[in-house]
Amino acid sequence: MVAFRSSESSGRSTGLLLRCILFSLLAIALMIVDKRYDHLGKIRRALSIVAYPAQVAVASPFEGWAWLRESLTTREALRADKAKLEDELRVAQFRLQRYEALEAESRRLRALRDSTVGVGSRFIIGDIMNVDLDAFRERVLVDKGARDGVYVGQAVLDSGGVFGQVARVDQLTSEVILISDAAHAIPVQDNRNGLRTVAVGTGDLSRLKLPYISTAADIIKGDLLVTSGLGGGFPAGYPVGTVVEVKRDPAQSLADVVVSPAAALDRSRELMFVWLTPAAPAAATVSAATLPTAAPAAAATAKPVTPAAKPGAANGKPAVTAGKPSTAAAASSAPSVDNAGEAKP
Amino acid sequence: MMRDERIRRWPVAISALVALTLAILPLPKALDPFRPDFLVLVVFYWSIESPRAGGLTLAFFAGLALDVVHGVVLGQHALALTLMAAWATNFRLRIRVFSPVSQSLTIFAFLAGYQFILFWIDGATGNAVTSLGRWVAPVIGALLWPLTVGTLSRLHER
Repeated sequence: MVAFRSSESSGRSTGLLLRCILFSLLAIALMIVDKRYDHLGKIRRALSIVAYPAQVAVASPFEGWAWLRESLTTREALRADKAKLEDELRVAQFRLQRYEALEAESRRLRALRDSTVGVGSRFIIGDIMNVDLDAFRERVLVDKGARDGVYVGQAVLDSGGVFGQVARVDQLTSEVILISDAAHAIPVQDNRNGLRTVAVGTGDLSRLKLPYISTAADIIKGDLLVTSGLGGGFPAGYPVGTVVEVKRDPAQSLADVVVSPAAALDRSRELMFVWLTPAAPAAATVSAATLPTAAPAAAATAKPVTPAAKPGAANGKPAVTAGKPSTAAAASSAPSVDNAGEAKP
Repeated sequence: MMRDERIRRWPVAISALVALTLAILPLPKALDPFRPDFLVLVVFYWSIESPRAGGLTLAFFAGLALDVVHGVVLGQHALALTLMAAWATNFRLRIRVFSPVSQSLTIFAFLAGYQFILFWIDGATGNAVTSLGRWVAPVIGALLWPLTVGTLSRLHER
């Protein structure tokens, strides 16, 4: 591919060729080591600390502008805001009362069944940093990292519903993959009838799809989908989206279902990192131990971006399927956050 | 590397840092696919105009920086940038005397080769981006080449 012809002195050209081969081999070695083993996690985190000032520098003018705009709002606007927030708080508290009663009931029922499904009670709030990662992947950078105990595979919510999960953790920041990323899948359940399936991202912020719904399945426009909690990556019962379109072609065995995400994927600034169980360790390492039940396979290789695949996880863990989700893949896909997206069958 | 006392490295460092900042500067979603690879253009410029100021070391570490900020497998951009910068360095004497149009075309070939290596590694690591959008960046980059040369040569010759 690269033709090395001596265009100047032959000595320098040989040097160029040598250095080119050297650096290429180094890059290939880096890629293999990064992909296969965890040793580069620390290096990557160190490098990301170096990149952090640049990221902050890029994000700060936007934050400064937001701050300025906030501090220049008028008294009337603030009063209106306050009234609105008080109203919302009242409604929320009203709902919360009901929720507490329901939670108590649910706990009683669970106790009856001896089941211990963790409720996401511990959480921290992170701010999205105004930094572009990649034009073709739905990822955001958030200002909470390994230092705050964030771990790979952790569920991330916003005020509307499920936002995504942590794909990579650096010391001070973490990268969250949105549920709308084309390589992301999340186990969901129809709130109306309990139908379980997997919602897959499309690469479009405003829609998800349900590729594994048979034409005969009972799903209609307007159905609310919530996380099923199966697989353990996401807490159960959080809204994922509403069905906006169901296309049934009698010639096909699978229906075409489009879902509009509940979270404001393109507008949220504050995100909530949820711990599945209150007892989850808060250790600031991103090692295997901090993944509660989320990603045993990822834990086994102890790598933040593990391309781990565990056969037989048939209930659709919060997996990131590689590339295009093939029919069988999502149902049995690995409980892994696969940043690099490799799926081993 | 240090044979020539007149080689100054700070323009290289400054231009690389500015280009890295431009690479992560948030753009409206609609414009994002059109963002050219600024840092790659900068590396090509230094490879062609003053290979001893930065050379392949610059290309490798700039690529590594791109890997870190884009959050992809370490070494991906580094490999692509090293290979293409080596190619550009090899042809630098010819490229310098090209007309601006031919220069842009050559740079387009380099940028397309760079994207192709990225594309290939994306596929090899099971992370393929199949959208055609990524092939827009080389075109924009090639169109921006005269501007890059204008800006950087001013910095270079000062």
